[in-house]
Amino acid sequence: MTMQATADMIEPTSVNTHAERIDRFIAEERRRGRRRNIRNRLLAAGFGILVLAIWHFATTLGFVHALIIPSPADTFWATLRVGGADYFWPNVWVTLQEIFWGFAIGLASGVILGVGVAMFDVVRATIYPYLVALQAPPKIVLAPIFITWFGFDQASKIAIAVVMSFFPMFLNTLTGLSSVDPNAVKLMRSLTAGRWKTFRYLLLPNALPIMMAGVKLCWTLAVLGVIVGEFVGASAGIGYLIYAMNFQLDIAGVFSLIILLSLFTLIVYQLIEWLESRIIFWKQL
Amino acid sequence: MSQSLIEGNRLSKVYATATGPLVALDNVSFGIEEGEFISLVGPSGCGKSTLLSILGGLEEKSDGTLVLAGKHHDAPRPDLGMMFQTSVLFSWRTIRENVKLPGIILGLDRKQQAERCDELLDMVGLNGFGDRYPDELSGGMRQRVALARLLAHDPRVLLMDEPFGALDEFTRETMNNELLRIWEKTGKTVVFVTHNVGEAVFLSDRIFVMTPRPGRLEGIIDVDLPRPRKAEIMRDPRFSELVFDIRRMLGVDH
Repeated sequence: MTMQATADMIEPTSVNTHAERIDRFIAEERRRGRRRNIRNRLLAAGFGILVLAIWHFATTLGFVHALIIPSPADTFWATLRVGGADYFWPNVWVTLQEIFWGFAIGLASGVILGVGVAMFDVVRATIYPYLVALQAPPKIVLAPIFITWFGFDQASKIAIAVVMSFFPMFLNTLTGLSSVDPNAVKLMRSLTAGRWKTFRYLLLPNALPIMMAGVKLCWTLAVLGVIVGEFVGASAGIGYLIYAMNFQLDIAGVFSLIILLSLFTLIVYQLIEWLESRIIFWKQL
Repeated sequence: MSQSLIEGNRLSKVYATATGPLVALDNVSFGIEEGEFISLVGPSGCGKSTLLSILGGLEEKSDGTLVLAGKHHDAPRPDLGMMFQTSVLFSWRTIRENVKLPGIILGLDRKQQAERCDELLDMVGLNGFGDRYPDELSGGMRQRVALARLLAHDPRVLLMDEPFGALDEFTRETMNNELLRIWEKTGKTVVFVTHNVGEAVFLSDRIFVMTPRPGRLEGIIDVDLPRPRKAEIMRDPRFSELVFDIRRMLGVDH
């Protein structure tokens, strides 16, 4: 008996040549991959629908009072109501500005001080112990003081966002610049590269992946800082609206604002991730 | 007596550690001629990598004198090139951009460097891979790129720290052949660190045999095997004899 005959006996098939069997095998692998993809999407969508259904029935059948949790439909209508109200956009604009400035200043100062501490021993020796000490208390404790110092307007919210978003950016910049292959540093030194060239050609690009992770944290914390600031004391902004609506027991309105704020944060987050995939393209190879 | 290209005289290196001074290199003296292929052989802790770093001007010697081309030498210089056990390629630069890096750092003529880069990639057998990224290449190919980069700024002395130590046996042998071919073509002076005795004998004109604790130069072996060398030379009885001699100096065979 030849091998071929044995194989045919185990798996009788009309496909006989090697090339055909390989093609069939690859096609089968692809089909399996597609099926897995569809299944995963169905699972995610199904779970979402399930949660919505539980939410719907729990609220409409009276298990949970509408004052505690509004129904999905109520939340939807509230979103249209709030989004269409004339107070909506001015308040959104106030918050967006605060977030933008808090994020920008937090990011810039984090990068600048991170680079300073990583690149210059004198800077590290002078300020690093204080930065570590300042990192210890939860930054939220500063919110009331900042309201006192900078007032009810945007400046205090920006200040809170800055102190909250600064640290992850600073630490990730520092860590990124320090996590370098010692041989790569040796190579640069052997090529007589000075501090600037080593930074430009080795340390900075090498640090970018960790720094981009810092940017994402920085963004999330800037949003958090601004909203917390508006809770503590403000006369405008999304956080202020949420606080006011909660006080008026307009929970559906609160829900709609939370959803809108989440959407906005998520969109920018995705934008940062897209930028990240462009900047550190070599991680996608 | 005419002066060697590199002359080390009573070189010592001591590290201050918590448990007292650690002698990494103890009174090492030698001369290296232009165009020579020298290997530093010995077990871990014999100071061979320390010596290489001192030769590269990357590490400060504690005592002794080091002269390179008639001048005292204690800092990195562009006529030296270094290669390491890992390829140390920058993953954000293409293969071509990696090979061009030394030229960019040293501010060499861009057009000339671009041509040289293509020649070098050709020489190490990576023609057509210039636009790839390091993460797309195998370990052996990455070391080939590192070899091309080592030669990019046309250094006079190549300092190689176990450059093929992380490669599998077959790739390592291929790389050894390539290195010999390139060395014969370019006439560079090479100082090659390895703990593989066979590799050292196959490649070198002379072998500095080093022993640990403290790091000492135990002796210098002249490798009197004919050149050009091919893999068949390992069948030569003289090859085995030299390998055995060195192993005995290192105290490996009793």
